[in-house]
Amino acid sequence: MVPITLTVNGVKHALEVEPRWLLADVLRDELHLTGTHLGCEQGVCGACTVLLDGRPARSCLTLAVTASGCEITTVEGLAKDGVLHPVQEAFWQEHALQCGFCTPGFLMTAAHFLENNPNPTRSAIREALSGNLCRCTGYQHIVNAVERAATIIREGDSHAISQD
Amino acid sequence: MAQAMRPQMMGARVSRVEDPRLLSGQARFLDDIQVPGMLEVAFVRSPHAAARIRGIHTEKAVQYPGVHAVLTHQECSVLLWERDTYKVGQPVLANGEVCYVGQPVVAIVAENRYVAEDAAELVVVEYEPVTPVLDMRESILEQPRRVHPEAENVFFHKKYATPGFDEAFAKAPHHLTASFRTNRQTAVSMEPRGTAAMVDAASGRVTVYASTQSPHRMREDISHLMEIPEHLVRVIVPEVGGGFGMKANCYPEDIVVVAAALKYKKPVKWVSDRMESLETDVHARDDIHDVEVAFDGDGKIIAIRDHLMADGGAYPAYPFSGAVGETSLASRVLTGPYDIPHLATEIHCTYSNKTPLGAYRGVWGPIASFIQEGVVDRVARHLGLDSAEVRRRNMIRPGQFPYRNAAGMVYDEGSYLQSMEEALTLIGYEGFRARQAKLREEGRYLGIGISVFVEPTAMASSEAGSVGYESCTIRIEPSGKVTAALGLGPSGQGHETTMAQIIADQLGVRFEDIVILHGDTDSAPFGGGTGGSRSGPIGGGAALVAGRQMRERLVKYAASLLEAGEEDIELGNGQAWVAGVPDRSIAIRTIAETAYTNVRKIPEGLPIGLELTARYLPKRPVTFSNGTHIAEVEVDIHTGVVEVTRYAVVNDCGTLINPTIVEGQIHGGVAQGIGSAILEALHYDEDGQLVTTSLLDYLLPESTDVPRIDVRHLETPSEGEGGIKGMGEGSLIAAPAAIVNAISDALTPFDGMVDTLPVTPPMVLQMVSGGRTR
Repeated sequence: MVPITLTVNGVKHALEVEPRWLLADVLRDELHLTGTHLGCEQGVCGACTVLLDGRPARSCLTLAVTASGCEITTVEGLAKDGVLHPVQEAFWQEHALQCGFCTPGFLMTAAHFLENNPNPTRSAIREALSGNLCRCTGYQHIVNAVERAATIIREGDSHAISQD
Repeated sequence: MAQAMRPQMMGARVSRVEDPRLLSGQARFLDDIQVPGMLEVAFVRSPHAAARIRGIHTEKAVQYPGVHAVLTHQECSVLLWERDTYKVGQPVLANGEVCYVGQPVVAIVAENRYVAEDAAELVVVEYEPVTPVLDMRESILEQPRRVHPEAENVFFHKKYATPGFDEAFAKAPHHLTASFRTNRQTAVSMEPRGTAAMVDAASGRVTVYASTQSPHRMREDISHLMEIPEHLVRVIVPEVGGGFGMKANCYPEDIVVVAAALKYKKPVKWVSDRMESLETDVHARDDIHDVEVAFDGDGKIIAIRDHLMADGGAYPAYPFSGAVGETSLASRVLTGPYDIPHLATEIHCTYSNKTPLGAYRGVWGPIASFIQEGVVDRVARHLGLDSAEVRRRNMIRPGQFPYRNAAGMVYDEGSYLQSMEEALTLIGYEGFRARQAKLREEGRYLGIGISVFVEPTAMASSEAGSVGYESCTIRIEPSGKVTAALGLGPSGQGHETTMAQIIADQLGVRFEDIVILHGDTDSAPFGGGTGGSRSGPIGGGAALVAGRQMRERLVKYAASLLEAGEEDIELGNGQAWVAGVPDRSIAIRTIAETAYTNVRKIPEGLPIGLELTARYLPKRPVTFSNGTHIAEVEVDIHTGVVEVTRYAVVNDCGTLINPTIVEGQIHGGVAQGIGSAILEALHYDEDGQLVTTSLLDYLLPESTDVPRIDVRHLETPSEGEGGIKGMGEGSLIAAPAAIVNAISDALTPFDGMVDTLPVTPPMVLQMVSGGRTR
C-alpha cells in the first residue's frame, strides 16, 4: 500500500492505495463517489471522465498513485450550493440524457470545453464531445444542451465552473 | 368523465423527473451498490470456441489470500434450459465441454475484483479443442459436425406459403434474386451487465439486485431455476444504464451470483467488464436471407420468397433464442407497409460455436426492413423507375385498414403513404436529384435512401415478458400525494415521467405530487417488464385504467361530500369541485384524509382507503406504429468512407405521451442505425475466436458520425387505451435500410447495391472497383 493525497471536489483526502488501483476505483470504492462510471475500462467510452488539475482525464486509465497531489473534480462537484452547473441545467432542459450512465463523463467534458470555448459552433461541440460515447440519445439533444449551456454561461445568470 | 378527455399533461413536453439524480452523480446503478462485507466475482471463461474439458485445477486459486470460494459446475450445476422449447440448455458453469469463447467455466468469489481476477489467473483448465462449427449454411447441413451430439443443429424450422404462391410467382413477368447478410452486432449498453445478491437477515429471503429489463421475469427465472419459492425472492432493479433488449435475458452469471450469496451467506456482486460484455452479452443480427421477388412492369410486387437463416449461437439464450425471434417475426412482417399478396418463407435457425443470439432493439425489424426496402429499390432500379414512385405503387392505402398482410398479421390503421410524402418534402427529395447530378460531375457521390417502416408494438407476448398485460397500483396517500407502481423495467425511457403524466390527467392532481415506483418486485404489481415497445402502450394503458378507476372513486367521494351529482364533479389541480360552481370544492387531500382517517364519512359502498391495482390487456394482440426515414449520404469512392449528411424522420406512434422523449428515442435509434449500417460488426476468426473485444474494435457511432435529425410527428391513434402505440424500436428498424439504400443510390454509377450489414469502407471500395471492371 502506498500513501497518497487527493483533493476531490475541494476536499483533501489522505489514502492508502495499492499501486495498481485505478483512480476510478479509488473514487468509487474508497471515497464512495459513485457518480464517476466505468463503461469500458479501455479508455474509449469516456464515461469515467473527471477533471484532473482542471483537464479532462480518463479515470479508468489513470492510476490513483499518479494522481497523488492533484485536484480532482467529479460530477458530484459540479453543482455548487445546491445549484446545478449550467451544463447540468441545460442537459435537463434539453433532454440530453436517457439512461444517464454516460452523462457524468459528458458533463465533465462539456464543462471544461465551455470554459475555453464560450461561444462554440455546433460542429465544434460535436468535435469536442467525440471522445464520449452515448448509446441512447443520438447526441442531438446533447449538442443542443451544450449550446444552451454556453448561452447560460455567457449571459451569466448562473455561476461558471472554476478549476484554477 | 368528459373532463378527462381534455388531458393537460399527456402530450406535453415535460422535463424528466429522473434527471436531477442522474445529472448530479446521485443515481444508483448496479455497481454503485456497496454493502459491508460484499464479495466480488470474477469468471474464468473459455478461450476456445469448442473444446472438451479434461480437468480443472483450482487449488492455487482457492489458497490465494482474499479468495472466499471457487465454484465450478460441481458447486453450481444449474442449467439454463427452457425444456418445453429446446433440446439443450446451457450449464451456468461449463460441464465437461465449452461451446463458445467467453463461456463461464469457473467463478472466483473474493474480497474484491482485483483479488478475484488475480486468482482467476491461477486456475488451470485442461482443454482438448475440437473443430468449431462456425458457418451457418454448413451448420444447417450438420457440417462439420453437430454442436450438441444430442440435438440437430437446426433447432427451429418452419415453412409457410400463401395459397397459390407458386403459380403467382411463376406467372409474374419479372424476377430478381438477392442474398442479404447481416453480421453479428450487439446492444453495447453503456452500463455493462451486473448482478448482486444478498440474504436478508431479518426475513431470510434473498434480495437480488439485477440490471434487467424485467424484474418479475427475473424473479420467476431465479425462483424456477434455483427452486426457491417466489415469495422468498425479491428482485430490485436499480438504475439501468441501457438495455436495448440485451438485458431481457437471465444469464449464467446472474444465477452464479445468487448461488454464491446463498451458499456463503455473504453479499456477492459481479459486474461485467467491456471485454466480457462483448463476448457474452447476447449477440444479435446473425442472419442470411436468400430472397426471390416477382413483380410486374409497373413495379408492383406480386410475390416474395425468402429463405431465412439465423445462427443462434451455442445455446438458446434463456429463456428465448434471439434467432427464433429474429426470423419468425421477420417472416411475418417481411412485406412491411406494402400490399404484396404472396409470400413464401422457410426458416432455419441453427446452433454454432458462437455466443448465444438474443435480442437487440428491433430484433427482427432492422433485418426485415433491410430486405423489404432493398427489394423495393432493386425493383425500381431494374425497371428504371423512381424508388419513391415504386413505393407509392405498392403501399397499403388508407382504405385498406385493418389490413391483413400475406403472413396473416393484421395491421391497425397507420399513415404509411402520408408519412412518406411528408418525409420526402422534409428532406427536399425533388431538389436532391439535381444536386446529386451536379455533384457527381464534380466527382462527389451523394445518395438518398428511403425506408418506410411498420413496427409491431405492444405484442401479446414479447421478448421481455411472458405476459401480454401490465399492471399499475395507485395509492393516494393520506396526505393526498400519489404513489403509483408498475412492473416495468425502464433503462432510460423516462417512465417515471410519462406514467406520472398519464396519471396526473386522470386524478386531477399535480404532476409533481406523483411518484412512480418500478423495478422492485416487493412494491410493483406483477408485470411483463420493458421490451418489445410495450411500456408506453401497455404500461401506459395500465396507468390510464388505474387512474380512471381511482378517478371514479374520487368523484364518488366528492359527490357525496359536496352533496352533488357525480356527473357534475370535475377534478383538477388537487381539487374536486362542482362544475360551474368552483366555490363548492374539496381538496383531494381532504378526500384522502376522509378515506383513511375519517372513515365514518366514507360514502356507502366504497372501501376504506384509496388504493387499487388495475391490469390492462389490450384487445388487439398487436398495434403497428409506422413512419418513414430518409437518409442522405456522401460516399468517398477513394476511401470507401460513408458520411450520413442529412436525415429526416416522419414518425407515427399514435397519441404522444411526451414528444420530447419520443424524439430522444428516435434520435438514439437512428444513431444505432448508423452503427448497424456502417460501423458495428462482431468478427470471429477461422478458429471461432471473437476478435472484436474492445470498443476500439467494435465501433459505436460518435457525436461526429450522427447528423442533425429532423423529426416530425403524425398521430394515428391505436384502438387501445389512450390511443398509444409503442415506438422504442421503430427508429432502429428503419434507419439501417435508409442508410444502405442511400449508399446504393450513391453508387448507382458503379451498379452497386448493398447486400450486407454493416457495409464497411473495404466493401464500398469493392463495389466501386467491381462496377468499373464490369
